Amino acid sequence: MTTTEKTEKTVEGVRVRNAHKSFGPHAVLKGIDLDLAPGTVTVVIGPSGSGKSTLLRTLNHLETLDLGYVSVAGELIGVREHNGRLHELSPRQVRRQRARIGFVAQSFNLFPNLTVAANVAEPLLAHKVAGWDAAYTKAYELLDRVGLKHRCTDYPRQLSGGQQQRVAIARALALEPDLLLFDEPTSALDPELVGEVLAVIKELARSGRTLVIVSHEIGFARDVADHVVFIDGGVVVEQGPPAQVLDHPQNARTREFLGKVR
Amino acid sequence: MSDDTKTDPDTKNEPETKNEPDKSEPDTTTEKPEIPPRRRTPLIVAAVAVVAVIAIVVAFLATRGSDDESATESGGDTTSVRIGEVAGNAAKPTTIDVPVVEAIRKKVPQEILDRGTLKIGQGALPAGFPPLAFVGTDNKTLTGTEPDLGRLIAAVLGLKPELNNATWENLFVGLDAGTSDVAISNVTDTEERKQKYDFASYRQDNLGFATVGASTWEFGGDYRTLDGLKVAVGSGTNQEKILLEWQAKLKAEGKKLDVKYFPDNAATWTALESGQIDAYFGPNPGIAYQIAGTGDTFRNAGTFSGAGASLQGLIAATTKKDSGLVEALADAINYLIENGQYATWLKTYGLSNEAVEKSEINPPGLPLENQ
Amino acid sequence: MTTTATPAAIAADPPAPPQDPLATRKVAPRRRYGRWVVTAIVLALTVEAVRALAANPAYQWDRISYYFTLDVVLDALLVTLEVTAVSAVVGFVGGVILALGRMSGNPLVNALSWAYIWFFRSLPLVVLLIIIFNASLFFPRVGINIPFGPSLVSYDVDGLLVPFVAAVVGLSLNEAAFAAEIIRGGLLSVDHGQIEAANALGLSPWRRLRQVVLPQALRSIVPGYVNQLIGLVKASSLVYYVSLVDLFGIVYQLESTHVSDKVAILLVGTAWYLLLAAVLSVLQHYVERHYSRGWEVRR
Repeated sequence: MTTTEKTEKTVEGVRVRNAHKSFGPHAVLKGIDLDLAPGTVTVVIGPSGSGKSTLLRTLNHLETLDLGYVSVAGELIGVREHNGRLHELSPRQVRRQRARIGFVAQSFNLFPNLTVAANVAEPLLAHKVAGWDAAYTKAYELLDRVGLKHRCTDYPRQLSGGQQQRVAIARALALEPDLLLFDEPTSALDPELVGEVLAVIKELARSGRTLVIVSHEIGFARDVADHVVFIDGGVVVEQGPPAQVLDHPQNARTREFLGKVR
Repeated sequence: MSDDTKTDPDTKNEPETKNEPDKSEPDTTTEKPEIPPRRRTPLIVAAVAVVAVIAIVVAFLATRGSDDESATESGGDTTSVRIGEVAGNAAKPTTIDVPVVEAIRKKVPQEILDRGTLKIGQGALPAGFPPLAFVGTDNKTLTGTEPDLGRLIAAVLGLKPELNNATWENLFVGLDAGTSDVAISNVTDTEERKQKYDFASYRQDNLGFATVGASTWEFGGDYRTLDGLKVAVGSGTNQEKILLEWQAKLKAEGKKLDVKYFPDNAATWTALESGQIDAYFGPNPGIAYQIAGTGDTFRNAGTFSGAGASLQGLIAATTKKDSGLVEALADAINYLIENGQYATWLKTYGLSNEAVEKSEINPPGLPLENQ
Repeated sequence: MTTTATPAAIAADPPAPPQDPLATRKVAPRRRYGRWVVTAIVLALTVEAVRALAANPAYQWDRISYYFTLDVVLDALLVTLEVTAVSAVVGFVGGVILALGRMSGNPLVNALSWAYIWFFRSLPLVVLLIIIFNASLFFPRVGINIPFGPSLVSYDVDGLLVPFVAAVVGLSLNEAAFAAEIIRGGLLSVDHGQIEAANALGLSPWRRLRQVVLPQALRSIVPGYVNQLIGLVKASSLVYYVSLVDLFGIVYQLESTHVSDKVAILLVGTAWYLLLAAVLSVLQHYVERHYSRGWEVRR
């Protein structure tokens, strides 16, 4: 990326302001502020229970915030502003927003009753973006890009974990979102399958989309991330370029965490 | 060197297998996979279900006509009514000619005349009580003294008889709601029922006690002989009311009468035969019929009037109070009595001893408090 | 490292067997004497039972074949099938609505669904049928000449419409309550990740139900629901309370008219009901197989 692109903030990226979220008495996000530049890859790391998955889910309104807001490309997610206050959007409006954000979960969550191709075609059909034939054609293209076109008539259960995750990524790409969210995409995979998924994500990283990835693959983070965020106890402890956060962490907690994970 | 090709076990020739997890990435084929056909299975299933439901309801209504009353033929003003059809041992089929009587017909409410049918309620579900009302040997037609009288009365009135079968309780519900114009089903005239219904009497109501042939117990007209016995009776009937009142009286005297209920006629007779009960208290014709058909198995241990000790019980055609039909019914029955068809009817079923001299409208019936 | 290997080395995969006889012969299987004894006893009992059944004149095999295909019996069987089929469909639709209502966020809808389910599960079906029969006699009287077909114009429909409708209404109301809980159980059994994925893709609740949740839920619903259906076939035997003569009604009627054939008639009734249940079970197998597409264990 050229420096002019980075300093020109004509298109905003992901912005999180004062994010607070509690589940009952248990506070999970205790005031998070983030500015993630568009077209960059951000990897979020942190111990379990730190709130990173919850934070990720607030970016496409799968979780709602008690306080604070999230905006993507300048648009508030899940809420709108009126007279200085935030009001919830209608479910239909939220769904439309979610169509522009891709989400890949740890457990793939492919629809087992649909074939691989049908899974990828589903968002296109559901949002009436394409007719039956066009949707499937697009699905085959996407599957080809993740290298699984030859399995298109199989059912998810017949695929290995790595293959399923790649299909999940293809499905998340179907509506051509500008923002992609990954929640621990390789944590449920056998070690030898991790590589194929990371390869696909790496390729996406180079495509100019904004990626936010929650992961504990530190090596991957170093390879791919433009920005690393370390979250612990519901707050951002440290963030910055990977070279800094991962190799020369400033904060003691970061150091402690990295020491355990290496 | 050529050694490699022989010894390397890993390369297979074209990992085209679709249903095995391939450990290696596939070769990039340029073939386009087929777009799968649009499967509308759930929609089809739902549509089939809806169509099936509608079709069934329609078919049910269209094909199941009301009872085809082929037992009557109208030739102008006189109808040849066939009674005792498919009645098995209860009666021999007989044809009775019944003319339409204009004078009586005029008394029938206009609504019924316009309709052209007389809806006659029968209380013979799930199983009837021969020889009074039961499904005949063809397993389809309701036959017996009661339906046959209904057919005769309808013939006098120049109406087509339509028999509506129901459970005993629903028989009265049908009268209340107008599903039936009249109930001719061995219904006893009682003071309590007269509060809601009009009666036109047509037969004596005699009840009887049936026991097994070997028993020597006699009722003798005295309820005290029932002490310590188990007696079955039909639920919701006139005789039930009488029996329960005796039970109360016996209890007051420190004695005990056990009243048992069975779901239908057949079950009751089986229970009596097996000794589960000591006696069955029910319509005398039914008991006589059962005894006649089974040799020495059962015997009649005494009779009682359906209207209590002091009054002759009467079986009457029942209609909703003030429906306007009762006069026509009484007149029709009287016509049948005066012109011999009534006698023939009773003789066919062997119940001539239950004849009445004339049909009365709302005669005194079983008192509210049994004496 | 050279890749050449001597053929002998390749063929010599299994190591040379040791000469110890204990290690070379397969383990002798345990003789299960108890099992033999039990098998012999059960076999003897079964053979004796079948023989006794077949030979006993009380079962009246010739009369059974007469009644099995008797026209009034087949007519009544058709009534049972019709009533059951219509009630099953209406009950299922009602059950889905109630199940969704029970899972709704709207507290009023939730409470109403719960109340319906509680009431119609508790009320005995017999009582319900009697209540409906009494009530329905008054309602359809209001202008009910439905122009379905030419033959209906000439006589009034009351006597027919009421029993069939009353039976179906009663059975459906009852069925919907039970179906609702079975369906809700099935809906709940769908992994939450599926719902999350559907939401993340922005699928509408209806689309999500149709494409994701319901197909998966049906896998769990089908066995329980077919159970219910078989129960419904049997429950339909109560429809004589609304003056509708079904298979049970005709059996009852026949056995009180033809007392000497009582056993044969009862066996015929039994046989037909067993046959209906068997057909439903077979259908269940095929439906379950359809919905298990995609669930076969991989590899």
